[in-house]
Amino acid sequence: MSSVDLALGLVGVALTIMIFSYILGDNLFFRVGLYVLIGVAAGFSAAVVITKVIIPLLYVPLRTPGTPAFYWALVPLVLCALLALMLSPRLSQAGKIPLAFLSGVLAALALFGVSRGTLAPQLLATIGRFSPALLMQASQINWAGVIEGVLILLGVIATLFFFHHRQQVKQVGGGSLLDGMSSVGQIFMGITFGALFIGLYMTALVALISQLNWVKDFITSLL
Amino acid sequence: MKKGLPIAVAILSGLFVLAGLIFQPYLGPYLGLVLNWAVIVGSMALLVAIASLIIYHARSILTARKGFIFSIVILASFGLSLVGGLWLGVDNPAYLKWVGAIQRPLEVSLLGLVALIMTSAAVQVFRNRGWSPLTVSFGLSAIFFLLIALGLLQTLEVPQIATVIGYIRQLPLVGARGLLIGVAIGAVMMAIRVLLGSERPYSD
Repeated sequence: MSSVDLALGLVGVALTIMIFSYILGDNLFFRVGLYVLIGVAAGFSAAVVITKVIIPLLYVPLRTPGTPAFYWALVPLVLCALLALMLSPRLSQAGKIPLAFLSGVLAALALFGVSRGTLAPQLLATIGRFSPALLMQASQINWAGVIEGVLILLGVIATLFFFHHRQQVKQVGGGSLLDGMSSVGQIFMGITFGALFIGLYMTALVALISQLNWVKDFITSLL
Repeated sequence: MKKGLPIAVAILSGLFVLAGLIFQPYLGPYLGLVLNWAVIVGSMALLVAIASLIIYHARSILTARKGFIFSIVILASFGLSLVGGLWLGVDNPAYLKWVGAIQRPLEVSLLGLVALIMTSAAVQVFRNRGWSPLTVSFGLSAIFFLLIALGLLQTLEVPQIATVIGYIRQLPLVGARGLLIGVAIGAVMMAIRVLLGSERPYSD
């Protein structure tokens, strides 16, 4: 093991212990670990943004005056300058224009992307369960497929209904049929949250075991 | 005029991007240009946010505010990481190894800590929300999927159990589909409100 690897390994072990010290309660070492994480992540993000975006997309075109790329780069330059003014409390209002530009672009991308990438495929997948090709097997009705399709449709409608019904109950109160439908939606959501919870729990558990294993291996390699 | 200009910028930029996406063969090159501008402005917004964080912590040190020792830690780690990245380049293997040696143990340990916190959080759900269809189905689902994840039910090797497990495994997909459609409808509504100027996230 080289001296650099040894130093980096010792740093890793120290940081791991600092984070796991939270088990004993919120303490100085845990907080120092968190601040190191934030500082390094912020520095790395800033370095990536400067070297991979700002320099090639903004600085390089501005070094060639008179070209079309130079004139096109003036627009983001002005927007970036207005954004930088947000650091001064007195001039922070100037930052609204670049933020409005960003909001408009992101809203349009979200509208297009979500409707084509999420909404339409999910709706089609739900309706697709009732396609004749799936429901007919050798000119006989596939009842298992019909029941499965109806259950899925009912589950999706009940889950969507739960959100809508919560708002209505707050305003006018709910009826028994609406409450029943909302309860079915709650059951489907609970099942989904339970499965997601266990998926995340198992991931976290694997991370915990692998990190403790890494610390054990590193210390063993030193002995 | 002062209030109207950002709204006009948001509506015009949004409508142009929407038009560019729909009429891509005609507006494609201009769409690429506007998206490039958005990438630059978004990156600059990140830099301004980081600068704001650094200014706050620098002021904490200068005024010796309570807990300024943490500000020294954050500024030192930020400075080393930024200067290293700019000096060596963010693709430099030595720099990436150094950053990874600090980030990886911190992030993996925090994720490991989440496992311990989630255990107590699961109990808190029942304490705070009581018994309802949501909490009961959540608890039963969590126990069932934990048993499946641990492979306890599969070890029984009963074909009927395998069939039942197969059906129950599909149930979370139904709720997830409902949630996804609900979230997507919400996102579409919010995007339309921004494009119509009735929602102004930039003016807060």
